[in-house]
Amino acid sequence: MKLASLSVELLAGSSLHEIEAQTLPPYSEEAIRFLAEVSSRLLKSPNIREYPDIAGFGYWCRRANLSKLALAFDKNYARLGRGLAFHIAPANVPVNFAFSFAFGLLAGNANIVRLSSTNHPQATVILRAMQELLELEKHARIRHMTSFVRYPRDDKITNTLSEISDARIIWGGDATVNRIRMMKTKARCVDVCFADRYSVSLLRADAICDAGAESFTRLIVGFYNDVFLLDQNACSSPHLVLWQGDKERICSAKYRFWRGLEELLDTKSPEPGIHSLDKFTHLCRTAIWLQPINQNRSQSGRIYRVELEQLPVGIENFRGQHGFFFETTDNDLQKLSTILNTRYQTLTYYGLDPQIITRLVVDNDLQGLDRVVPVGMALDISIVWDGYDLITTLSRVIQTV
Amino acid sequence: MSNLEIYQQAFKETFMVDEEKLADLKYQDIPEWDSVGHMALMAALEENFQIELDIDDIIEFSSYEYGKEILQKYKVDVD
Repeated sequence: MKLASLSVELLAGSSLHEIEAQTLPPYSEEAIRFLAEVSSRLLKSPNIREYPDIAGFGYWCRRANLSKLALAFDKNYARLGRGLAFHIAPANVPVNFAFSFAFGLLAGNANIVRLSSTNHPQATVILRAMQELLELEKHARIRHMTSFVRYPRDDKITNTLSEISDARIIWGGDATVNRIRMMKTKARCVDVCFADRYSVSLLRADAICDAGAESFTRLIVGFYNDVFLLDQNACSSPHLVLWQGDKERICSAKYRFWRGLEELLDTKSPEPGIHSLDKFTHLCRTAIWLQPINQNRSQSGRIYRVELEQLPVGIENFRGQHGFFFETTDNDLQKLSTILNTRYQTLTYYGLDPQIITRLVVDNDLQGLDRVVPVGMALDISIVWDGYDLITTLSRVIQTV
Repeated sequence: MSNLEIYQQAFKETFMVDEEKLADLKYQDIPEWDSVGHMALMAALEENFQIELDIDDIIEFSSYEYGKEILQKYKVDVD
């Protein structure tokens, strides 16, 4: 199928048949300058108040941060981008497509980014800023290397684009990854796949009970951001909360923590009725399947908690949404060790030394966890993600001896 | 523009606030200076002064006045 005949909606950049698969070295000045201007434009836009995730992206791609990343990048070898990178962005995280594009561009690739059919307003804002800058002569090189498109699911189009790509960045979970992986690609095409992931939170009761007002507020706001900004749909949002401490302290800590979160939720706009219904239905299901020792629905219904004595292997298959949590006590981390598998991505923590977790994983050869970060940073995507060092993976080495 | 004018402009543009309100201005004093506004202010200062702020300084940057002290560390003399 000829590129010019593909029926796609062009959202920004060059049309598919105009794209040139020219490359740049990683962290080129052209790429950094373009992204820094996107950052500036977005952070000055009135929309950031309404869409903090746009602010998050803008803040991440500001020059100061990109320069820092460039400095830290391993320069043992001369590198260039791999060529043409084809991104399939997920439907669940509105600004994800922008990060994916940035990773591809910073690695030195030309990029075709297919956005999901879900028309997020954040995408419109970001694309408008990008398009305004891409039209300028100073960004002509980037324009010739960039195309943002949208098309309803069409395997023929995805096939055609797969066949011309040197790298594919596939977001969207196991089913999407498996379907797209089956399509023919160039022999040396590199696939970076973001499959279904699951995340947990580990909280120390003592730290929560003893936290001063300011620290506690930061904790609650951080947990809220990790979970509710994306309705618990992001793979990094925790679905399971593990507690550490003695029985009484855990009891007090749970009271303080969940009540604090409920109070914060009360200040936010109410959730749609269907979410409440979903959570209640899920509560009934889990009661049958898992025999919990306790179930709890917060006063407003925003938070559902299911307490388990034991954690069954495969607990991640029972994940809920919109504020549905499993809870258990795990002082020796035995339960965590038992359930960890390759699906587990992020562990957010409060009140403990994260090295304990790193050592647990490494010393016991555990097959899960790519990130151990403080509560509040679950959604902080960057160039090392899901266990991939993206700039390295998406660029190629020119080895000279 | 003097450094002071550049500094003030970052605040005025980010928060849509008048010059008279700047002297006593602190984080969370006004709705515009929330965590999102803070990110925008830090980015504006970095861009305008061509510096890279350390994460600790970004967290500590809690007021218009104290910010001037922080910028001293980056050899930016605002007064």
